[in-house]
Amino acid sequence: MENVIVTNGLTKCYKEKTAVDNLSIAIPEGKLVALLGVNGAGKTTTIRMLSCLSKPTRGTAEVYGHDVIKEPDAVKRLVGISTQDTAVAENLTVRENLEFMAGIYLEKDRIAAAVETAIDAFSLREYEKKPAKTLSGGWKRKLSIAMAIIGEPKVLFLDEPTLGLDVLARRELWREIEGLKDRMSIILTTHYMEEAEALADRIFVMINGRVAAEGTLDELEEMTGKKGLEEVFVDIAERGTR
Amino acid sequence: MTYRALNFTKRNLKEMSRDSLSYIFCVAFPIVMLVIMSIVNSSIPKESGMTIFRIDNLAGGIAVFGQTFVMLFAALNVTKDRSGSFLVRLFASPMKSGDFTAGYILPMLIVAFVQVVISFAAAKVTALVTGTELEIAGLAFAAFAVLPSALMFTSIGFIFGTLFNEKSAPGLCSIIISLGSFLGGIWFDVDRTGGAMEKICRCTPFYYATKVARAAIHLDLGKETFLFPMLIVLGTAAVMTFLACFVFGKRMRADLS
Repeated sequence: MENVIVTNGLTKCYKEKTAVDNLSIAIPEGKLVALLGVNGAGKTTTIRMLSCLSKPTRGTAEVYGHDVIKEPDAVKRLVGISTQDTAVAENLTVRENLEFMAGIYLEKDRIAAAVETAIDAFSLREYEKKPAKTLSGGWKRKLSIAMAIIGEPKVLFLDEPTLGLDVLARRELWREIEGLKDRMSIILTTHYMEEAEALADRIFVMINGRVAAEGTLDELEEMTGKKGLEEVFVDIAERGTR
Repeated sequence: MTYRALNFTKRNLKEMSRDSLSYIFCVAFPIVMLVIMSIVNSSIPKESGMTIFRIDNLAGGIAVFGQTFVMLFAALNVTKDRSGSFLVRLFASPMKSGDFTAGYILPMLIVAFVQVVISFAAAKVTALVTGTELEIAGLAFAAFAVLPSALMFTSIGFIFGTLFNEKSAPGLCSIIISLGSFLGGIWFDVDRTGGAMEKICRCTPFYYATKVARAAIHLDLGKETFLFPMLIVLGTAAVMTFLACFVFGKRMRADLS
């Protein structure tokens, strides 16, 4: 199986703080990978570097063989991102937001079809003419993810996609994300253990900018001798910070 | 111009057209000033020889005054996008620095053009009411002749919006609005003032912007009255636009470092 993302000694330093420390990971194609970690573990910084939003201080990172530093244009065409704060144009309608984003990535003659597909895939039909600023948090997040995938990326980064959503909205979004798994590789950061448990094929636990453990849930349970991702995570995190 | 820049231009135009502030700043306020100053003009005795507020002179001044608000609006647009994560999201897309710059500046030029057309239409109505001569040909020519100064002000606003935040950028724009309207001679006749004041005014591009607008309305294409001031405005607009591109590109690289 081809690796979509390969990092080697990837490091990001901000003055005194090392946000990501010597990260060497390989993410296989067609999988949903969860980056778990407490606040400041380096999850978002990792995603920012992989999506060319932040330059690594040291090390290398490749997306489908394209170096994020040397070939950012090629990488940007391959990735979609939904940031922690929903990035939508507030005064534009749902449809206009999708059309705008499709216009950045796709040829003119493919925009209309892509917009219709996204509207249907995320059940946005009812809201398509509403300005984004009038949507609830859950629908805004859906729109943000729809905008991230409309350019047909091969890799999708979802940075805490369900943060602040109620349980029903979260479950609904999980279903949407689940539906994307066969179309692209997904890298998701989250604080919610049940989210990673429900969605992820593979889990990376990050502590202080480093990957403290990696594997499927079964592998991590076997490694720690604990049951359930929350127990596994606490065990790894406590060992990692000791 | 790339399709991506055009796409971003469309988005910015739509955003602006749905913001009530754009109508207040860019349309209502210049017209209100035009009406107020016309009323002031009607109270000035003819013997005074003061013609600065006569509609054929006032219309040009108001056109430039309106552009200073386009500058403020340009700054607000950029700072608004920068304060949220929308721009950051776009930085992760294949859009280039030039696409952003064109996409921010072009819609403001369209707004500035619409604004000047509306202001001149209001000026023509005022001229008809007050029985003052104001030729449509002059107004039509001036609507295009003031575009370089619109570019100059838009670029200044874009630079402020790129360098400063939502709180400081409007403040700095207000300083330029005050300086621009005062030193530009919109509210007084610089050429009759003389002395240090005239010299200071002549050192600013605002003075020449107003001069171009007034001369164009009178279809006066004289070297001293139109061509030389136009060259200065064009030069300043070119420098400001180059600076705007440079500053945004630098800021984008810094944000992505």
